[in-house]
Amino acid sequence: MELKDRRLRSRTSGFRMEFRRRDYSAEEQGHVLRRSLSDHHPLLPPSPSFNNQVVDEKNGNNDFYDPLRGLNAEDSASVEEKDNNNSQVSSKEWTSFKRFLMQKFPVSKMISIASMSDVIIKSSASFRKSSESSHLEEVDDPQRISQEDVKVITGHEYVSRLHELKDEINRAWHAEDRVTALKLTIQVAKLLMDTSVLQFYPTLFVLATDVLDMLGDMVWKRIQQKAEFSEDGTFLCSLPEDFKTSDICSDAKETCNNWFCKVGSIRELLPRIYLELAIFPCWRFLLDKPQDSLQRLVMMARGVVDPLASTYCRLYMAHCARKLPLSDIGHLVTCVNDTKILLMRHLSAREDGHFSDKKRVLVSLMEPSIEYIMKCIFENTSQSQRQVDSVLLELGLGRNQEDLYGSSPCVSLVLHHLLKELPTEVIKSNFVGILHLIECSQDHYFDQCLNYRLLGFRLSESRSKLDIVYSVVDKVIQAVAQYDRLDQYLRVVDAYMDIVLQNQMDNHLKTILEGISKRACHKEIHEDELESLESILMKLLSHFTDLNDVLALDHFLEILDVMFGNPRSNINMHILSMATRTGYLHDLSTIQLLFEISQSLHDVIDFGSMKDDEYQQPLRLISRFVEMVDCGTEMEQHLMFLVECRGAFGSINELKETLVHSSNCLAIKALKDGRKHLTFVKSCIAFSEVTIPSVLEHVVQFNLYIETAEVALLGGLVSHSDGLVVSAISCLECFDLTDGSRTSIDAGGMLSSIQKLCSLLVMFPGNPDEGITRFPNSILSLINSKSWMTPRMKIRLFCGIILLLATLSQNKLPYYPYRAEITGNDLLFFGDPSYMHEIAALSECVLQNLISFIEQEPPKAAHGTMALEACNCIASAFVVCQDTLEVCWKLIEIGRLCLGADDRYLQSTIKYLKEQLPSSEKVPSCSNLIFA
Amino acid sequence: MSTKIVLKFFRSNRIYRPSEPVEGKIVVNSPSSISHHGIRLSVTGSVSLQVRGGSAGVIESFYGVVKPITIVNKSIEVKPPGKIGSGTTELPFTMVLKQIGEKSLGRFYETFHGTDVSIQYLFTVDIARGYLYKSLSATTEVIVESDKADVLERPVSPEMAIFCITQDTQRHPLLPEIKSGGFRVTGRISTLCSLLDPISGELTVETSAVPISSIDIHLLRVESVLVGEKIVTETSLIQTTQIADGDVCRNLTLPIYVILPRLLTCPSVFAGPFSIEFKVSIVISFQSELSKLHKKSDPRTPRLWLAMETLPLELVRTRRGDL
Amino acid sequence: MVLVLALGDLHIPHRAPDLPAKFKSMLVPGKIQHIICTGNLSIKEVHDYLRTLCPDLHISRGEYDEDARYPETKTLTIGQFKLGLCHGHQVVPWGDLDSLAMLQRQLDVDILVTGHTHQFTAYKHEGGVVINPGSATGAYSNITYDVNPSFVLMDIDGLRVVVYVYELIDGEVKVDKIDFKKTTAPTHSAH
Repeated sequence: MELKDRRLRSRTSGFRMEFRRRDYSAEEQGHVLRRSLSDHHPLLPPSPSFNNQVVDEKNGNNDFYDPLRGLNAEDSASVEEKDNNNSQVSSKEWTSFKRFLMQKFPVSKMISIASMSDVIIKSSASFRKSSESSHLEEVDDPQRISQEDVKVITGHEYVSRLHELKDEINRAWHAEDRVTALKLTIQVAKLLMDTSVLQFYPTLFVLATDVLDMLGDMVWKRIQQKAEFSEDGTFLCSLPEDFKTSDICSDAKETCNNWFCKVGSIRELLPRIYLELAIFPCWRFLLDKPQDSLQRLVMMARGVVDPLASTYCRLYMAHCARKLPLSDIGHLVTCVNDTKILLMRHLSAREDGHFSDKKRVLVSLMEPSIEYIMKCIFENTSQSQRQVDSVLLELGLGRNQEDLYGSSPCVSLVLHHLLKELPTEVIKSNFVGILHLIECSQDHYFDQCLNYRLLGFRLSESRSKLDIVYSVVDKVIQAVAQYDRLDQYLRVVDAYMDIVLQNQMDNHLKTILEGISKRACHKEIHEDELESLESILMKLLSHFTDLNDVLALDHFLEILDVMFGNPRSNINMHILSMATRTGYLHDLSTIQLLFEISQSLHDVIDFGSMKDDEYQQPLRLISRFVEMVDCGTEMEQHLMFLVECRGAFGSINELKETLVHSSNCLAIKALKDGRKHLTFVKSCIAFSEVTIPSVLEHVVQFNLYIETAEVALLGGLVSHSDGLVVSAISCLECFDLTDGSRTSIDAGGMLSSIQKLCSLLVMFPGNPDEGITRFPNSILSLINSKSWMTPRMKIRLFCGIILLLATLSQNKLPYYPYRAEITGNDLLFFGDPSYMHEIAALSECVLQNLISFIEQEPPKAAHGTMALEACNCIASAFVVCQDTLEVCWKLIEIGRLCLGADDRYLQSTIKYLKEQLPSSEKVPSCSNLIFA
Repeated sequence: MSTKIVLKFFRSNRIYRPSEPVEGKIVVNSPSSISHHGIRLSVTGSVSLQVRGGSAGVIESFYGVVKPITIVNKSIEVKPPGKIGSGTTELPFTMVLKQIGEKSLGRFYETFHGTDVSIQYLFTVDIARGYLYKSLSATTEVIVESDKADVLERPVSPEMAIFCITQDTQRHPLLPEIKSGGFRVTGRISTLCSLLDPISGELTVETSAVPISSIDIHLLRVESVLVGEKIVTETSLIQTTQIADGDVCRNLTLPIYVILPRLLTCPSVFAGPFSIEFKVSIVISFQSELSKLHKKSDPRTPRLWLAMETLPLELVRTRRGDL
Repeated sequence: MVLVLALGDLHIPHRAPDLPAKFKSMLVPGKIQHIICTGNLSIKEVHDYLRTLCPDLHISRGEYDEDARYPETKTLTIGQFKLGLCHGHQVVPWGDLDSLAMLQRQLDVDILVTGHTHQFTAYKHEGGVVINPGSATGAYSNITYDVNPSFVLMDIDGLRVVVYVYELIDGEVKVDKIDFKKTTAPTHSAH
């Protein structure tokens, strides 16, 4: 070893340091803080009476804030506020509804428009006439188109042309050319007459009504301005929110009337309705009760026979009507009734093939409109029974059971959305009737099972009386028993699972599971069926707290077995997390089942293509399962299980760590049971030892070796332990060779683990044949040979070895392995001068290493801390004499240079050093420099 | 830049009753000052009559313009001779079409723009500038509605006619399948109607074997002009309003709602030299391959695939709030 | 009055399935203001559980902790006290008072909380107080498998600290207390 500072070497060469004597138990006794029994403590649960009081007080507070008892003035204020926000809310709703429409029915590539308005063709230079063969597949109704002059443009072009038109109209309006603006808007509205490309219609509707709404707004503002300003531009008054026609000057009324006249002169029915709807709010300038006009428009819309065009027209009607402060919903009810008639007329004739498919598409296109209108009806209906009753009556579903259900067939689609929106209270008191209605309405284009399903959801939210719930569930389960198709069956029972489970309808549960099993086994399961199965099993699993209750259900495992893919994995994971949530798993058959589930979960993991976080969760759950297994006294069996897991889940790196921990824990369990299981303990240790090398990360490997060594030591297996420590150290030796690329070196973790090894070595009986200081020496050579050793690691490890040696030099060691019957070094080498000599020699060597290393380091703050750490270590390990003191002061000086004299660590170190001085010793002269 | 002259009326819709003062201003915009020989405002109201054959059948012999009937013709001086400065000059005016006590030339018919009969009231401003300069002028039409005093005093209640259209009510031949299959469309429609109100009514298709493609309401005007001893009558289409597009559901009531277009309608008039009457026609078009070949034909022409019912319509001027 | 829960060495799930039920029922959210945990939890779920008891959670790293981001040592100030936190497996020899005192000087704290030995201890020395809350699950340690589950609750009130020691002995929770005061006036205010 080369030392630059000759002076220091001359001093250290003559080092004669003496380990400080320690009496661990006496010191403990001297410093221990006495504990006394405590009657009260902060975690004491409050006494029951106190608890009640708190609850009462709470209730009292609730009463005080009861909103129903609030002042009337406050109430009305809040209502008003709500009203003001209403239009904003509805316009937001409309925007999101439009987005939903566009997304649900995306624009197809090509659009053929039969009698296409010039307004679209005009500027669209790229339109082309269809050569019949190439575009025929895009045309929904070839018969209609074939004879006519078909023009084809792309959907994209069509959309962008409509956007251009909107801009054009906007420009014309603001250039005072309102006639052009109106004419163009009429052209746009006329586009809505063409429903030949079904899929495109919703998009067309959204774009066209955007234009119409824009025009409507502009007209409204213009008339409002006329009402608020005189002709020469002076401001007269601002119209109140709830103005009356008497507030409007005749000039504004005249203008308004003109608009309705212009719109009324449109020849074609559909655009005429749309345009009047666009400016519909303006009726408020002319009429105090515009609802009559609305009713007329509803009736007018009956003249539009095309089901798609008329349904969307009614949708726009519902939207425009919301702009008025109306509470009347008569028009909406008529809308629904008329749609119903239309649907019944169109759907009654059963057709096959192309037309049947077309109708299915048609129904799906009409559905959003029915949904929206139905929502509007019940949004405006205050939830009073009477009002709902009248709505129902008007919809042809009176209250009286005899003349209502069954007599008038209801369109399933309409019924579906009615069922969705009906207030819970109404549903609650009409379950039987509704059920009957669902039974009766079986049409071709809407799946009846969806209504049964919806009823199930409504039933679970209704909190109805048990007898009603029972009778409904009874009937539904009976009804769906007729279903042959698995998907329909699943959809319905899925909706009733919660009710069945919550009310402990065990019979039904049994029927359901049997029903699923009957329909699902020996059949290919489709994607949507898988989803339903997943949902059903999830509900089942979530309901029970004890997994065994689920496993005991008939057909559960069969059903699980038909599942595959992601849904299967999700269920598997849920089962595993359920199983591991409630503590140890003892039952062998459950363990076997969970093992199989883990295997099936493991088999679908594709480590190559899946992202880390995708397979982390299943891996964790498998690990957790393995950890939670506890075979009780059947420890051999448990170990066998671990062996089996190692084989089955070989590709899971994390699991190996778990396996080692488990087998070590198993060994400890055996030890607790008494010494008779020593062979078994050995088997466990052997299992761990064999498993550790396949763990990827070296720090983890090292820690596992140490843990196993500790366990071996607790078992009194010195030679096993010895071998494990050798393996641990050799694992460190090949650390930089193999591990470099995997992760950045976890220096902190590595350092503390090696420090931990130093403490473990305190308990190791020295083997004179191998050299008493064999392991400290190995660590020392590691420090000096490994490039990944940072200065901080080196200094701490030097200190660690010094402190280890100082401990080993004591007459009585601070700790021994519990009940291990291992003779420690203190007894083994008591009074043996060669032992003491070897320890002293090594400590001297380490000390030299330490000091010379510190001297080499550049003066930085971190370096100062390290010097002080070394100083503390030396002062703690050795008796403070002249030699020690000199070294310590040197280190303190370095600390002072790097950290400054005010540093608290420096000061506490100096203070400590002073305390360690024998009373006769004086502070050496050099120290004066520091205190000067 | 030349001088611009515009007539502006304080009533932006320019609707006046004969006894009401017509107020407005003459706006002159000139780059330089102009000297003039007086600025005059005149009003001319007249009924122009024209005969283009029509139902008389002998086209050549009747073709020509019949001498117009003057209702009013008078003028006032807004400004005596003098000078108008450069820039914008505004000259307010007030004029009453029919001064109380003043003897008018004719009755103040309401403004109407028809094919053969046209009733117009024109305001003209003239700035006379001597012989060297072209005189500056501008003309603007105002719309005249009947005076309150002239409005029917008797309470007018709208009158409805009940109609029933079947294959048997048609006086023209129908396609055999329509004739044999039969149809029945019933309803009611206004036959006496205030100009302020829409033509209203309702219509129900009760049966129809052949699908319907459209149902339209045609508003027709019947103009008659006395030419010599003969009355020449012409019926023309004012407006078509579709009330059903496609094969409507049977037994579902459809509303009839037709707003009367201004200028193109006026109270029914039976004057000596001319008359203006109106009719409504309900036309049912059945789906037929044949109809596609005759797309642009006059909707009034009876066709094999059309069924129709035409009813007279009397239009009256009422006070707002009546009816 | 500030309540600080100190616990550590749970070794869940490697050496114990969960906290003892009797401890769990006592530890309810809303009572505790700070949690200091010496480490070896060992899995994330335990971390999440502790966070439900009190969001102000401080953890130092044990050698088996899944989350390698916990620091080796941590200091925090609560009221008039500066607390230091370290797992303690890196202290040579384990649990040694002198070595812990060295660490305490370095961290410059009034109360040093360490774990690793799975035995409750509380010492007072020249530099301050050293507390080891033991193992909250009673997991086996490097030197013994005879471990009683224990944790510590510190009630810090001005210069006074009452340490409550919760220990599960033969199925019963025994609560002891230790009372001490900080002798010097706040030492850290000078800096």
